[in-house]
Amino acid sequence: MMKFVWFWTFWHWSKESHRIGTLLHSPLHEIGTHWDEWFRHEASDADREAIAKTGQSEFTQRQFIAWFCKKWAREAEWRKNRTIPKFVLGQLSLVPPFNGWAAFEKHRIQAGLGGVSAIVLAPESSGEPADVRPVAAVALNKDGANAESKVLPYNFNAERSELEAARNAATSMLKGKGLLLFLALWIFVGKRPYSSWLKTILETGWVGMGAMVLYLLTGPDPDEMLVPIIAVLTGLWSVFALLGLTTAVWQGGQAWRAGGHWSAELEQCQIRLNLRDPLTLKGSSAGSAFCLNSLLAVYRAWPATARRSWLWQRIFRRLNAEAGSWAATGLVTPDGFIKPVMLEPKIRACRQHDEITHIITPHQREALGAAKKDQPKPSNPIGGIENVLKDSAMAPPGFAAEKLGLQIHPCRHIAQTFLAIGDLFSRRQILVNVVAVMVTAVMMAAAPDVREILFPSPPPKAVAPSSPSPYYLWVSLDTKHPKYFEVVLQSGFWADRRAKVQSYGSANGSTRAEISLFKLARARSDNTSDGTVWIERRSYFLTREFMSSERIGRYSLLYLNSLESK
Amino acid sequence: MKSEKTFEDLMRWRLAEAATGSPAPPSATCLLELIRPWWEIWPAQFLDAVDRLGQINLNYGHAMETAGQYRGGHPVPVLIVGEEDSLKSSARVLYLDVRDGEFRLRFRLAAAGLKAPQRYEVTFIGADQRPLFSAEATLFMNNEYHLASELPEDLAELWKQLKVTDKLPFRLIIRPVKAAVPSSTCGHMCL
Repeated sequence: MMKFVWFWTFWHWSKESHRIGTLLHSPLHEIGTHWDEWFRHEASDADREAIAKTGQSEFTQRQFIAWFCKKWAREAEWRKNRTIPKFVLGQLSLVPPFNGWAAFEKHRIQAGLGGVSAIVLAPESSGEPADVRPVAAVALNKDGANAESKVLPYNFNAERSELEAARNAATSMLKGKGLLLFLALWIFVGKRPYSSWLKTILETGWVGMGAMVLYLLTGPDPDEMLVPIIAVLTGLWSVFALLGLTTAVWQGGQAWRAGGHWSAELEQCQIRLNLRDPLTLKGSSAGSAFCLNSLLAVYRAWPATARRSWLWQRIFRRLNAEAGSWAATGLVTPDGFIKPVMLEPKIRACRQHDEITHIITPHQREALGAAKKDQPKPSNPIGGIENVLKDSAMAPPGFAAEKLGLQIHPCRHIAQTFLAIGDLFSRRQILVNVVAVMVTAVMMAAAPDVREILFPSPPPKAVAPSSPSPYYLWVSLDTKHPKYFEVVLQSGFWADRRAKVQSYGSANGSTRAEISLFKLARARSDNTSDGTVWIERRSYFLTREFMSSERIGRYSLLYLNSLESK
Repeated sequence: MKSEKTFEDLMRWRLAEAATGSPAPPSATCLLELIRPWWEIWPAQFLDAVDRLGQINLNYGHAMETAGQYRGGHPVPVLIVGEEDSLKSSARVLYLDVRDGEFRLRFRLAAAGLKAPQRYEVTFIGADQRPLFSAEATLFMNNEYHLASELPEDLAELWKQLKVTDKLPFRLIIRPVKAAVPSSTCGHMCL
C-alpha cells in the first residue's frame, strides 16, 4: 500500500546506514533505536504527515499493522520466522509516535513473546515477588555487530559462558544427548499419544497378558487349551509390542527430525534474551530459565515444525500458552544437567507471586521438602480455614501470606523439565510399562518354547548309533531340539521306561535317550527284541513343563537294535 | 466604580513592584561565566576526571575467523562523574554520523543496573586528553542516549570519515544534568 511508503523509506535508510557504517547493528536488531533516529532527524515533512495520518485513528493504525504483518514482513523475507513481526511491532510500540497509538497497546507488553520467569534475587532480598523476573526471548537473524555471540542479553549483563551454556543445553535438547535422554525418559514414564479407548484396551491387554503369563507359569495345566492360550498370548504380545515400539520409534523419529530442523535454525540465528529489569547478573542460577526460553523462542519462530511431533506439540503448546505461570531456577550445564542453587528465598518469592504456579528447581533437598509441602490439598469445607491458618503460620515472619498449591518440579536435567511442562509423567503408564517389560522379557526368554508349541519341529527320525551294551537301549534322534522330545519304551520282556532326549558328547556323541533295560520278573514274552519305542513331543513354557504330550513316532526294538552301533 | 488609572499605569506599577522584589540582572561578566564550559570553571576536577578516564583500559582482542572489518564496533571508555564518586565504564556507539557540520551520536552505557538519568552532559576528550566539546545527551531507553551537536569545522572534517565500527578517537566524561545549581563564581543560577 502506497500510504505506508514511509516505512519502506525508513527501512531502506536503516539498511543503507548499516551498510555504510553509520549504524552499528543490522536493521532488525535495535529497530526501535533506528526508527527513533530516523524519525527525529531523517524523516521528511511528507513522511511525518503520512505517519500522522496513519496514526489518526485506531482503524488506520490497525491497517498499518495488518499491512506490516502480511505484506512487509513477507517482502522483508521474515515470513518464515513468525516472531520477527511481533518483535518488531513490540520494539516500535515503545518509540514515538507508535507509543501513543492505541493499536500498539498489546504489542507494548511484548504480547506473545513472554517466557519462563527467572528468579533473580535483589541484593539482600530474602525472596520477594519482584525477584521473579519475566524473561522474553526471541530468535533473530544473526547480527553482524554481535556475530560472535549466540545469545544476546538485552537490558542486563551476564557472564557470556552462562548464556552459552544455556544455549548449548537448548541445542542438546533439540538434537543431541539431551533429546535422547528425554526420549528415553518419555518411553519409560511418559504418557502416550493414544485416544482414551485405545489406552484402555492397551492397559487391559498388558495386564491380561501378565495374568496369562502367570497362569502359564504357575497355574493348573491347560491341557488342550495350551496352544490356543499361547497363540492368543503371542498374538496379543506381538501386536501390542509392535504398537508400542512403532509409537516410540515414530514419535522419537518425529521429535528428532523436528529437533534437527530447529537445531539448524538455531545455529543460524541469535537468541535475544530480554530481562524486564536492568540487572547485572551475579551467579548462574538463571541458566535453566534462559535455556527454556531459548527453546521456546525457537518454537515460536518456527511453530509449524512441531506439527508432526506430538511430543513437541504437547510441550511447547503448553509452555507457549502458560509461560507466564512458570518460573525456573538452576545452573544449567552445556549438556542440560541442572545443578543445585540457593533455593529457599526463590521458592518464597514464587509463593508470594500472584501469577507463578509452577517452579522448576534443581533436584535438591530444599526443593523436595518444599514440593511435599506444596502438594495440592483436597478442599475441605471444615478443615479448609484451619489449613490456611496453619500454612500462614508456617510462612516466615515479615512476609505476606504465601499462596498454596505452588507446584515445585525438582529436576536433574532439562529433559525432566520437558516431562513436567508437557504434563507427560504418568504413574499408570509406568505400571503398564513394568508389566509390558516383564511380559516381553518372559516372551523373549520363552520364544523357543512358544515356537515349538505353535510351530512344532518335524518328528525326528531314529538314527545310529545304537547302544554297544545289551543292557542299554539308545534311541538316537535326528533333531536339534532334544529338549522337546521324550522316548517311551513299552515291551513284554523289558520293564516299561521313559527317558528324556539329551545331547551327548565324547566318542559316542549323539542326541539320544538312554534307557536301562530291566527284564520283567513276569515277562509276557521270551523275545528280547519284543517292544515298541514311542517318540513323544513335550511342551514347555520357560521353567514349566506341561503334562500333555503328543506321540509323534514309533519304532520297534528290533529296528533300533539293528541300527549300526559305534 | 470608576478608576482614574489607565491600564498602562497599572502595568507600570506592576513592573515597578516586580522589580523591587527581583534580583539584579546579571552582568556581562556573569553571563560570560555562565557559558563557560565546566572544565574551565573547575579545572582541577576536570584534570582528575581525565586522569581517571585515562586509566580505563579496555583491553580486548579479536579472534576473528574471517578477514575483514570487525563489525562489532569498539567500546568507548566512559567516566561517569557523580556527585560523590565516579564510575569507570564503557559505551557502545550504536549510531554515528557527521553531516553538514552536525554530529549525531547514539550510545549505550555498559553500566546496566544503574538508574539512568534523563540527561547527561557528555564531554568528548581527544586522544591528547584535551576536551573537544561537550553536548547534552538525552535518554532514549535502556541506558541508551542520543545527542546532536554542531561540530567545530576542523573536527567535522576529520570525523566525517568515521564509521561506527572504527576505533573512535575520543573518550567520554559524562555528568548527569541536574536542575539549576548556583554558579561557583557569580552566584546566579546556572542550568
